[in-house]
Amino acid sequence: MKKVEAIIRPSKLKDVQLGLREANIPCLTIIPVKGSGLQKSYTERYRGAEQSMILQTRIMIMCIVSDSNLEKCIDTILDNASEGQVGDGKIFIYPVEDAIRIRTRTRGIEAIK
Amino acid sequence: MEEVTTIIIEQAELIHAIDSVWVAICAAIIFLMEGGFALLEAGFVRAKNAMSIIAKVMIDIVFGGIAFYIIGFGIAYGKSNGWIAFDFGITTDDLGLGLTVSNKLFWFIQLGFAIAAISIVSGAVAERMKLWSYALFVFIFCAIMYPIAAHWVWNPNGWLAIRGFNDFAGSSAVHAMGGFAALAAAIVLGPRIGKYQKNGKSNPIPGHNLPLAAVGAFILWFGWFGFNPGSTLSAVGNWELIGTIVVNTFLASAAGGISTMIYTYLKYGQIDITMAINGVLAGLVAITAGCNVVDSNSAIVIGLIAGVLVDIAVIFFDKIKIDDPVGAIAVHGINGLFGTIAVGLFATENGLFFGGGLSLLVTQALGVFAIGSLSFIVTFILMIIMKKTIGIRVSRREENAGIDAVSFGVESYTTFE
Repeated sequence: MKKVEAIIRPSKLKDVQLGLREANIPCLTIIPVKGSGLQKSYTERYRGAEQSMILQTRIMIMCIVSDSNLEKCIDTILDNASEGQVGDGKIFIYPVEDAIRIRTRTRGIEAIK
Repeated sequence: MEEVTTIIIEQAELIHAIDSVWVAICAAIIFLMEGGFALLEAGFVRAKNAMSIIAKVMIDIVFGGIAFYIIGFGIAYGKSNGWIAFDFGITTDDLGLGLTVSNKLFWFIQLGFAIAAISIVSGAVAERMKLWSYALFVFIFCAIMYPIAAHWVWNPNGWLAIRGFNDFAGSSAVHAMGGFAALAAAIVLGPRIGKYQKNGKSNPIPGHNLPLAAVGAFILWFGWFGFNPGSTLSAVGNWELIGTIVVNTFLASAAGGISTMIYTYLKYGQIDITMAINGVLAGLVAITAGCNVVDSNSAIVIGLIAGVLVDIAVIFFDKIKIDDPVGAIAVHGINGLFGTIAVGLFATENGLFFGGGLSLLVTQALGVFAIGSLSFIVTFILMIIMKKTIGIRVSRREENAGIDAVSFGVESYTTFE
């Protein structure tokens, strides 16, 4: 099992979600995040005080997939999240130790099927 | 003969009725301005303190209103020696103002003025002042301080009224009074934690909900169309004046918004929308003194100047490290000052620019200087006394955690369910 954590543009969320559903990987959790990458930012200006950088708004998608679905999941996100511009985001992959479905107490790979 | 007497009595009744409807409606519109203050200030502060500012505006109304009933009205409109009067409650004596509405209704519209003045202060002390200390200050302000200013300006025997001081709806008595009290309070309180860096640079602390602040400004804007024309205190015989006042009020506010937009665009390359909100309000504050005596073109000029003044003032107060989260000092203090003096320049009769010489200008300057000083000095002393005794500032822990959570045990925005 792997955890795929992708930071994407909010405007791409619908496409990515639809793509994952079509690829039969429907389970995901999203978190609205703010952050900064390598791209230039806007300067924050408020009532004459000008200083900090505005953090960009992005969406973080989390999905837990079986090892066999991993590449399909990554490809789907890559296909749907890209604008071809700086600021498209990043994908991170982590190993997952275990998963448990609360209703049935099923453990392991069965819990995410 | 009897018939004539009856007709005269009926006519008097009719005048009372018409004027009462007019004043009651305007007073209610003015009262709604408190909702505008609440939203404007709530939008301009951080989410963790949004309820505390609502509480402050509520304190303005409930503590300030009762204070203005108990002795405030008596101090403002009682039997005058030119400087002050004293009486309890709402007198039934003739106030000498030629009123065609009851003293009680007059009290109600004056209440709106008193609580508007103190609501100016609530914005400047936002996010850091102790609630009970604030309530005490509100009580003193509405019981004694504001009524003295109102006495000078509007009591028929007030020393400024006798000199021909023209402050129609309160650029001085309400706005400069509130604005300079706000200045003194903000100085004694000191800036919010994190507002200034060690090297003295100012950090932006953006408001948490700017659309909310804008809605507050629109409500205040609406309220001004009760505030200024309602100050006629009668509709019968004033039909032309009321038209002049509403048009002047609108033109100045629109011009204030335009000049702020242009000024910030030229300065930053972007329109600063929170400043434009202040610019509109600055135009309104500035026209409040002279809306009955200037012509429409002058109203536009006054608004244009006010809109630029407010930008310069906000940045100036920020630079000298006086932290005013909502811009109350710049909007109400500086433009109350400017609006009052503008009467001496732009009044079609006796204004300097209209060949009237200097005498009105001198009276206007003297009046607003007296009221601004009264407000600043008394507030400064009161704040110092309270600081040394009961304390005026919330603890560092409370300021960091948010007044809402620590003092009220609530959050403005509960996230889950």
